[in-house]
Amino acid sequence: MSEGAADADAGAAPDARTVDPGRSHAGTLKYVVGAILWGWVLLRWGNDWLGGVIVPPGQPFVPPATFAAVGEVVPVLSGVANGLAFAVQYLPNLMNGMWVTVILTVVSITLGFPLAVALAAARSYGHYTGWLALGFVELFRGTPLLAQLFVLYYGLPWLPAFFRNLPFVGQGFVPAQAVWVAIVGFILNSAAYQGEYIRGAIDSVDPGQLEAGRAVGLSQFGSIRYVVLPQALRYAIPGWTNELVYLIKYSSLAAFITVPELLYRAQSFASETYRYTALFVFAGVLYLGLVITASSLMGSVEARVAIPGLGSDEGR
Amino acid sequence: MSDEPLVRVDDLRKRYGDEEVLRGISFEMGRQDVQVLVGPSGSGKSTLLRCVNRLTEFQGGEIALDGTPVTEMDVDDLRRQVGMVFQDFNLFAHLTAKENIMLGPRRVLGKSEAAAAERALDELDRVGLSAQADSYPGELSGGQKQRVGIARALAMDPKLLLFDEPTSALDPELIGEVVEVMEDLAEGGMTMLVVTHEMGFARAAATDIMFLDQGTIVEHGPPEKLFENPEHERTAQFLERLTRLHGETR
Repeated sequence: MSEGAADADAGAAPDARTVDPGRSHAGTLKYVVGAILWGWVLLRWGNDWLGGVIVPPGQPFVPPATFAAVGEVVPVLSGVANGLAFAVQYLPNLMNGMWVTVILTVVSITLGFPLAVALAAARSYGHYTGWLALGFVELFRGTPLLAQLFVLYYGLPWLPAFFRNLPFVGQGFVPAQAVWVAIVGFILNSAAYQGEYIRGAIDSVDPGQLEAGRAVGLSQFGSIRYVVLPQALRYAIPGWTNELVYLIKYSSLAAFITVPELLYRAQSFASETYRYTALFVFAGVLYLGLVITASSLMGSVEARVAIPGLGSDEGR
Repeated sequence: MSDEPLVRVDDLRKRYGDEEVLRGISFEMGRQDVQVLVGPSGSGKSTLLRCVNRLTEFQGGEIALDGTPVTEMDVDDLRRQVGMVFQDFNLFAHLTAKENIMLGPRRVLGKSEAAAAERALDELDRVGLSAQADSYPGELSGGQKQRVGIARALAMDPKLLLFDEPTSALDPELIGEVVEVMEDLAEGGMTMLVVTHEMGFARAAATDIMFLDQGTIVEHGPPEKLFENPEHERTAQFLERLTRLHGETR
């Protein structure tokens, strides 16, 4: 009897996390691992940008010999310790590649977003602009991204030249021109995909919402801006996150136009040392860290902007 | 100019493809009139209503607001002057009750945030929903949503309010609170064009009831005449059936 009452109490607890310790532990673990990873990454980047505050740029924080010594003291761990001793020599360089990957992804998705919103609105509401947007989307979704990058980098010589002549490009932590050409490619390509996610979301907003906006006296543009988009962009978050996660990984195609991003560096060290497994596993772990960070951030954005009842018919 | 009716509809014709849904509708509404439209589904009453604020475009005839043909007015300007209440509410789903009411005054009339908020709270008070100012549509009952819908239209200071079956999507026990607000508005002198099956409201508040069937006006007149002494057998049968179904909800 008293047991039943206790169960009922637990079921009535307002916050599910307080009654589900497993989930709470997993969440804590994610934050701890994330804090360690990003603490290390930021320390690394800071050290190298500032010309070596802690260790000279490119040198590991912990010397490889330390790991090798651990392996000798604890024989069971010698395999792992040797792998680490090898990998830490290359990690500083991989981390610099990771910086390039982050720049490629964040700048491209951010600048691609307004273009995607415009494309989506044109596709949903435009007549001639709708056809133009459709042409854009089909062109950039329908041809290989790699081909687009080649055309931009090798086919349009003025584009890399334009970026090379900008004063800050290639200085300090601002990457060189190939990265910016790649970013142009990713903006165009990603906008096509993002735009389709957003268009789907716009089309799922009840048409009565637009009509109500018009009936209040808002223009078509005003109704889209103040009524449809605030709802559609909320609906679009999960699909948009998917595109963000893809972009993190397909940003590695920039390697083909000489951009020294994460996978490019792993590949080049691997071909020097023939230790493919160790290097690609490390690169994979860094990608995984980026992806989990991105999806966690978007998850919290989604929760933060959530509106009671929006997304169900009850919301109208 | 002062004897000009607020709304003049003259030989209004509307067709969808080959099907003519409005076949020459003519009537006038003075200021503070409450015109009720009734008729079987497909009779064209909602279409007629939507022609007035041009949510639907029409092919023939004329509708004039204050003497100006609506087709010659800027459509956004027309809608600033003519409020609309929808059958399925169409509250902006991402905004609170208060923000729903503020959007028009803010973005259409260009009022300040503070002035729009003050007005919104006044309108919420008028429809008895002060306590729900910060609730989202998803947190309101149907009757509450519709009252916010009315408040949203009122905040624009419309010359004319259109109601498109405002109680048809409501559970029966929620109809009363909406009808009550509408009756208060009618009493306060608001000019209203109302498509409804609520015969209680029609009897109590209408200045004129118009019975539409197949795109034409079968007959119209003050409620006493249409309910007690209709000219046409069709009108009598229809109103009797509606009264049986919708007359005794309160």
